[in-house]
Amino acid sequence: MGLKLENVSKKFVGKQAVDNISFEVDKPGVFGLLGTNGAGKTTTIRMLLGIIKKDTGEITWNGKKVERKSVNFGYLPEERGVYPKTKIYDQLMYFAKLKGMSQKEADEAIKKWAKVLKVEEYIPMPAEKLSKGNQQKIQFMTAIIHNPELIVLDEPFSGLDPVNTEILKNVIIDLVKDGKYIIMSSHQMASIEEFCTDVLILNKGKTVLKGNLKEIKEGYKANKLEISTDKNIDEYIKEFNMELEFSKNNEYSIKIDSEEKAHKLLEKLVNNHIEINKFEIKKPTLNDIFIEKVGEF
Amino acid sequence: MRDLKTVIAFTIKDMVKRKSFIISTIIILVLIVIGFNIPNIMKAFTNGEESSAGDKMLVVDSTNLFEGTLENLNKMELGYEFQITNDNISFDDIKDKIEKKDIDKAIIIEAKEDGTYKLRYIVENMTQVSTIPEDIINAISTMYTNLQISKLGLTQEQILSLSPNFEYSIEQTEEQEVSGNLVVIMLLSIVLFYAIYFCAYQVSSSITTEKTSKIMETLVTSTSPRTIVLGKTIGIGIVGLVQICVIVGVALLSAKAFLEPELLNSVLDISKFTPYLAIITIIYFILGYFAYALLYALTGSTVSKPEDIQSANTPVAILAVIGFYLSYFTMMNPTSELNQFAAIFPISSPFCMPFRIMMGIASNSEIILSIAVLIITILVIAKVAIKIYSNAILNYGTRMTFKDIVNVYKDKNN
Repeated sequence: MGLKLENVSKKFVGKQAVDNISFEVDKPGVFGLLGTNGAGKTTTIRMLLGIIKKDTGEITWNGKKVERKSVNFGYLPEERGVYPKTKIYDQLMYFAKLKGMSQKEADEAIKKWAKVLKVEEYIPMPAEKLSKGNQQKIQFMTAIIHNPELIVLDEPFSGLDPVNTEILKNVIIDLVKDGKYIIMSSHQMASIEEFCTDVLILNKGKTVLKGNLKEIKEGYKANKLEISTDKNIDEYIKEFNMELEFSKNNEYSIKIDSEEKAHKLLEKLVNNHIEINKFEIKKPTLNDIFIEKVGEF
Repeated sequence: MRDLKTVIAFTIKDMVKRKSFIISTIIILVLIVIGFNIPNIMKAFTNGEESSAGDKMLVVDSTNLFEGTLENLNKMELGYEFQITNDNISFDDIKDKIEKKDIDKAIIIEAKEDGTYKLRYIVENMTQVSTIPEDIINAISTMYTNLQISKLGLTQEQILSLSPNFEYSIEQTEEQEVSGNLVVIMLLSIVLFYAIYFCAYQVSSSITTEKTSKIMETLVTSTSPRTIVLGKTIGIGIVGLVQICVIVGVALLSAKAFLEPELLNSVLDISKFTPYLAIITIIYFILGYFAYALLYALTGSTVSKPEDIQSANTPVAILAVIGFYLSYFTMMNPTSELNQFAAIFPISSPFCMPFRIMMGIASNSEIILSIAVLIITILVIAKVAIKIYSNAILNYGTRMTFKDIVNVYKDKNN
């Protein structure tokens, strides 16, 4: 059950935008769709929402072929857009009705979500009078107002201040609790790590990595040591033939090829009566994995 | 169907709430009311002046050439108040009288040395008058001829036989008879052209606005491109039709209320505006609007910046102008084959056929053929426009070239 893409490809004039990708979102939660600019994320999203047709492959939702009318989905596109001269209430009502809601249902949903997202005062205003962040919250409302089963969020946090980011994060957590399937595309790796159980990384239309985020990270060896001391330890780092990433005020970030070497360094420092304030062996972050896999930064 | 109604309702509401729409409609209505009041306004100004009965014209016949018969000029309704004198009044005296506003103009009849006569027409300023009014020359010449004939001692019958007593009539060799004032018909044709053209143009700008505001992606995931194009076209069409009906209604009411009946009847034969003609005109407005609106939907979907709309729409504008002029110029010869063609050719028929019907020269078979051709054209344009719209609306960036449009049409996306 859930969303399933099998061997999906799409070619535009002279360019293979998506090349034979497959993934499955089989339980409620947040699925991370990652990739550099032009990697094929938006094309994948547009295909799974039925905006554009795929060339080959199968896309199904609960076993049925995906079509605009067959899936109750919500979509927050990366290209933010509102009707500038139209009142927020009128545009929310318009989209809610197009998604099949009655006037009464839509009215109740607008009031509910305006309260949750703290935009009640803007509802009677034309969109052009709202800040960019508030316009984004209105678009987020458009995506979820009709209580969709599948929600696609393309860069949901870009352009939001920390307060509004927190509001949106809480809403996403609540949506997951309500059993929603969410596909999130973002460049903010921290957000993806915070929310996503499974991820798929695209590069030039091809899948370069996919699977459970925790399992993926477990498959990677520790590669970084962060250490904070009361003295300069440059000579010890040289002695152990380690590569220093950066250092500042006796805080060091060191590349390591084995945990054993890190422990030996620690032992040496302790034996030389150097006070250790912090010692942390780190596994690669999603950001590190992304850069390694995509290799374009 | 439900979505279509929602898109239509939203389009209508969004359009009529716009300040620019409300203000422009009010300005047009005010201008119409003022326009029909111009004769009354002018009358109000001229009423206050003394010379309402016409200019005062002094006729100086110092040689008494007309033997007192010039008094008859006042009976001829030439629009002047003639003052006849046999006194020898000089140019300077006349100048003085004109400056004092005693008279407006003057005619001096002078005998020349060779026995002929000269008429000197004196006006205050020659910038507005370059020749002596023909009716005055004719009146004076006839009066002189009559005076000389009367001196020949002819009988009444002989005198009568000298004056022409013809009855005039005009007939045509073609079987079709054209009725109606051609100038008025052409004027109405221009009104219909602008009505169709500007309503259709709105569709293009509405689509580009949606692309510019980047709302398109949300919109196409909410309903089908077909529903958006048709809903938008129908919505704007309804607003345009109602707006034009209000404008025409106010114009007709103003004409009846403010224009003098004789003036109104002289330019417009109201009896020609039958309910049948009104329905036909509305049908052609709707069909013409749909043809051009869908073409504009097509061009509107190929651009994503407001500054590109103008150039993208140029081909449709050229098509519309060709259609209009084909209709307009052939209407000067409404029985020609070219006008018959213009009434059936889909780009010109909306501007042509209603007026052929008004002139009473369109046969029923012509009307049916013309409407059928127009409907088929609309269906073809709709199919192409919706397909291109579906594939082009998510294309942001530079304006699409004709080649891009063809590629987009061939794309299997839809």
